[in-house]
Amino acid sequence: MRFLRNFVTFTGKEFMELCRGGRLLLFTVLFVLVGVLNPATAKLTPWLLETMADSLESSGMTVTGITVTAMDSWVQFFKNMPTMAMLVTVVLFGGCFTSEYAKGTLIPLLAKGMPRSAVVAAKTFTMMLVWSAGFWLSYGITYFYSDYYWDNSVVRHYAFAAFGLWLFGALMLCCVVFFSSFARSAAPVLLGTGAVYVVLTLLGMVGTVREYLPSFLLQSGDLLSGQAQPSDYSAALWITAAACGLLLAAAFPITSKRRL
Amino acid sequence: MENILEITGLCKRFGSKRVLDGVTLAVPESCVFGFVGRNGAGKTTTMKSVIGLLRPDGGDITVCGERVTYGGARTNRFIGYLPDVPEFYGYMTAKEYLSLCGRIAGMKRVDIRERSDELLRLVGLEGEKHRIRGYSRGMKQRLGIAQALINRPKLLICDEPTSALDPVGRKEILDILKDAGRQTSVFFSTHILADVERICDRVAFLEGGKIALCGDIEDIRKKRSDTAVEVLPENPADLARLAERFPAGEVSGGCFILKNASRQNAEELFGFLLENHISLVRFERKEPSLENMFMEVIGE
Repeated sequence: MRFLRNFVTFTGKEFMELCRGGRLLLFTVLFVLVGVLNPATAKLTPWLLETMADSLESSGMTVTGITVTAMDSWVQFFKNMPTMAMLVTVVLFGGCFTSEYAKGTLIPLLAKGMPRSAVVAAKTFTMMLVWSAGFWLSYGITYFYSDYYWDNSVVRHYAFAAFGLWLFGALMLCCVVFFSSFARSAAPVLLGTGAVYVVLTLLGMVGTVREYLPSFLLQSGDLLSGQAQPSDYSAALWITAAACGLLLAAAFPITSKRRL
Repeated sequence: MENILEITGLCKRFGSKRVLDGVTLAVPESCVFGFVGRNGAGKTTTMKSVIGLLRPDGGDITVCGERVTYGGARTNRFIGYLPDVPEFYGYMTAKEYLSLCGRIAGMKRVDIRERSDELLRLVGLEGEKHRIRGYSRGMKQRLGIAQALINRPKLLICDEPTSALDPVGRKEILDILKDAGRQTSVFFSTHILADVERICDRVAFLEGGKIALCGDIEDIRKKRSDTAVEVLPENPADLARLAERFPAGEVSGGCFILKNASRQNAEELFGFLLENHISLVRFERKEPSLENMFMEVIGE
């Protein structure tokens, strides 16, 4: 009861912080921008190539009959989402725990009997909610324009591929929660999360373990073209979900024991 | 009288440094308790242990008869805490912050509204519409007291509430604490002895990780034997007569000083002055100041 009450109150405080600090606006602009950018890039590609046709021709390339489909728009989505939206989300949330520990803003509230687990839960929930809402907003915009200009039916399994990408983003945020449970500032949190990303990507190049790694979820090209099936990704999905659970499960007791 | 806070044999070490070495003290009901020690003596460590933010290595703490546990201390529902440098969410107004605290403490909305208004009046922030970001240190300290008192705690713990303030701010905070002391026990740490003399009923000196001296301020004063009587006669020739009659006294700087004088000694001396028609410039009974006692306690 006390946990639930404090969780709700503290989540409210988190959103007030997001609004008044201007970060909520930033997230909205970011995700809308990414959502619009995908079909826009696809739409503008023929025009861009045509305007450059002359200079390309002089270097020996001929541009003829470019046809753009919804596939181009979705490929952009799966390229822009991790590189722009996910990165910015992780960076903007990187210090959300550690800045409170460093400043001591939690002390008066903890001294009122608020359990630390309520803080971890509320912050994790807020991050996940922002990431999910933003992600699916971007998805919705891309879906709408891709279908409006072209036809989404030529693209296979885009919803499933998007779910995989969303889960990978959730894993990165779980890394932020985990590293925040013992780090003293935002820098080690971001470094740790970045290191996880790099290690996963490097291991992803090894053929044998590739499809068991969360980073496999980022490789959606074969899914979109229909060369791969969703079932090929089930191992990576389960392992990513389990990793999220483990990171969070570790973050709670570590945070409860850390010195404030 | 029931004790609100009882600390028994509290020990804490950081690495090889033993900060607390068996601290024992008790804060009774409706009492303003001064916790005195030099910087780094372990005052903050003691207070953080009481609110369960630090895990002690040994000893026992009870608040209102319940044992304090580290981490999610349930006893915190009895406590209001003001940290040494309180930090709040700068994007909130004082009222919003108090509302957040009230909800965390599980108060009802109506109650929060009434209590916030009452407390903001008490600490002189009632007309303040600006966000906390722009507050001065003194204002933050006052808001800190308001948030600590929001859920009507039985024990108010303040960590050096006056140290960083100018004389006006200091006086304001002391007045507020004294006021608060009528409804709740106040346990506050300081190294400013004048503050203790101004508002405290009881005091404890922390030195070398132990309580060197603890008790009612008046009792402590009475127990000390170094009450002196100082006499400045109009005619310096009378000094010799005084010295002759009271051999325990001494003449120093044109004054006759009778050290360790009991009440009876002082009366005898006064009687002698009257009988012999010695005219006076000054007759003074000197109480030992807390500062003297503190210096004595820490051995300097």
